[in-house]
Amino acid sequence: MLKKIFPTLGRFRFTVQIVMLFVTVYGGALLGSYTVDRISQALPSLACAFDKQTADHCILIVNQHQLHHRIGEALVKAQEITLKVFVPTLISVATFFAFFFVLNKAFCGWVCPMGTVQELLYRIGRRLGRPLNRFKPDNVERVRPVKWLLLLVLVLGLPLAAGMGYAANELGDPYCQVCPSRLATTLLTADTEQIALRTGTNINFFLGALGNAMFGFVVIAALAVRQPFCRICPLLSWNAMFQKLSPMRLVKKQYDKCEKCGVCEKACPMDIHEIGREHGNKAFHEDCTLCGRCAEYCPDDDVIQIRFFGIRLFGSSRDYYKTRVKRESPEGMPKNRVIWLKQAK
Amino acid sequence: MKRNQLMLGVLLAITSASAGAAESAPSATESMAAMAHSGHDHAAMMGMGKPMSWTAYPTLKVKSSGESRERMVAIVVPQNIAADGIDAWSNNLIDENGRRRLPLDMAGAKLDKPTSGGFHWLAAREEQDSAVRVASSVYYYGERGAANPTDMFMHQKHELEIVPQPYPREHSRYRANEDWKFLVRFNGQPLPEQKIVLETSNGSRSELISDAQGVVVVSIPDDFKAETEGKKAGHGRPGADFVLAAEHADGGKNYLTAFNAAYGKSAFDQRSIAMGLGFTLLGMLGAVPLLRHRKAKKNDAPEQKAEA
Repeated sequence: MLKKIFPTLGRFRFTVQIVMLFVTVYGGALLGSYTVDRISQALPSLACAFDKQTADHCILIVNQHQLHHRIGEALVKAQEITLKVFVPTLISVATFFAFFFVLNKAFCGWVCPMGTVQELLYRIGRRLGRPLNRFKPDNVERVRPVKWLLLLVLVLGLPLAAGMGYAANELGDPYCQVCPSRLATTLLTADTEQIALRTGTNINFFLGALGNAMFGFVVIAALAVRQPFCRICPLLSWNAMFQKLSPMRLVKKQYDKCEKCGVCEKACPMDIHEIGREHGNKAFHEDCTLCGRCAEYCPDDDVIQIRFFGIRLFGSSRDYYKTRVKRESPEGMPKNRVIWLKQAK
Repeated sequence: MKRNQLMLGVLLAITSASAGAAESAPSATESMAAMAHSGHDHAAMMGMGKPMSWTAYPTLKVKSSGESRERMVAIVVPQNIAADGIDAWSNNLIDENGRRRLPLDMAGAKLDKPTSGGFHWLAAREEQDSAVRVASSVYYYGERGAANPTDMFMHQKHELEIVPQPYPREHSRYRANEDWKFLVRFNGQPLPEQKIVLETSNGSRSELISDAQGVVVVSIPDDFKAETEGKKAGHGRPGADFVLAAEHADGGKNYLTAFNAAYGKSAFDQRSIAMGLGFTLLGMLGAVPLLRHRKAKKNDAPEQKAEA
């Protein structure tokens, strides 16, 4: 029965993504207005607190607020720093980890509404016959540090500096001001407030303009590039700090044919070239979102697996691969489906 | 350095003292006149119920106490009502702190943050002869995993009540130009076609009528004047207060209930949709080249040629 409804891991993940899109964008309207206070308030995905109907919100806004209003202010009055200053932050991180422990970075690949929106746009791009712009290994290497930079500067550094009085108060939550999920999720609820640019101060204006321009870029780029924003998302780097601490893992064993194959690399929406060339810990890369596509498109039995506490949840197999490629190419091109807009010859 | 700090301290003390005097002087006289409508001087009777200048209706002023990072105690000050205590309901009604009686002293009543956290319904009640007056408001302590407050809001607490449907949740608040629903009920039953009065500290006043289900939709007025910022409603944002009041007679008694809360400027204050869309469009244009099919180059690998 389940196999009929979900013939592939991809279909199952897509269903989970759509359900989670509703929970993280409209969950408050579906489950009650006050649900947002009652789940985690520290979700490891970009569910946005600015969305008035979300059922939960991401850890990054909590971090920024706590660094701004609690730790930063307390550091200024250094003699008054006590453990209780850090307790709310510790509780937030612990709550985040309680969720993260179970699913690890599947929060990126299965739950994050911004990830789902980008995947939907990419699917539309395939139907529209748009090209696929893949990142070559050297390009990927150049982009990867950006997510760490955004985490350090926008999520941790500036809010702390604002709390300590070294930066303007408007820099208390700078990441939220540029986050495309803030615009995507609020627009999905027909709320136009967030896309309207704040003009109160130069900092507001600059951050808003940057955020809107980035959102516009991501929306169009996602038609031809897989997960364009995920590559620089600070939540990906935040999650990467904890990914080795969760029992949910991507496991790849050493296999001779891998060097000549490379199908899993093509299937990876994050262009993680290491998945084809490495094995063991190096294959479970910091950019991995545990979407499972590499395991789905690996043509050999059990070379790539998703494991929880060592238990195999899903593993590659030749038979599965044959079925999978009949439906969709590793790059995400649907087979035997209508392409709405074919390339002009 | 120490000398500078001392000077600053003295300066701050003088400034705050003079500001306090400036605030209290006009409000005292104005509110005495305002309270004369009910026939007696509530403030003088109890030494409580500090007068409020912008409305004659009973209200509760709630303010955080201590350092902002602690936020463990709130002070509740009844205004325009002579009550001997504040009743506080927490969002977890079956908890031992589900309903508490907070004693009043000259500074107000202290509301400690219970472990259950979340939303608190606060009310002061005064009964004089045949007149029953209630002031009510809501205070929120941020708390992860707090119980759903819907039951607490819907639980009957007084005879005549104005209940938010819903109250703004965390990261949200009442704002100008927004519509919010309130349920008016008497002894737990909805009151259809009940007159409700809305007054704001910015000077607006309007009257509304509840529908057949006792629900009234309140449009928060955009009455902030450009030259006055008003008070700060958290995160340094300008804010003001509103009160909703209803009166109802039953069984020879006259019931008056009021619900007050803070509200902020319109969501689109100091925002520009045109510029927002402009920059979004700019970003979109920047990504357009990615949508074009590239031509295969001479030195492309076979795979790249196939892709192109």
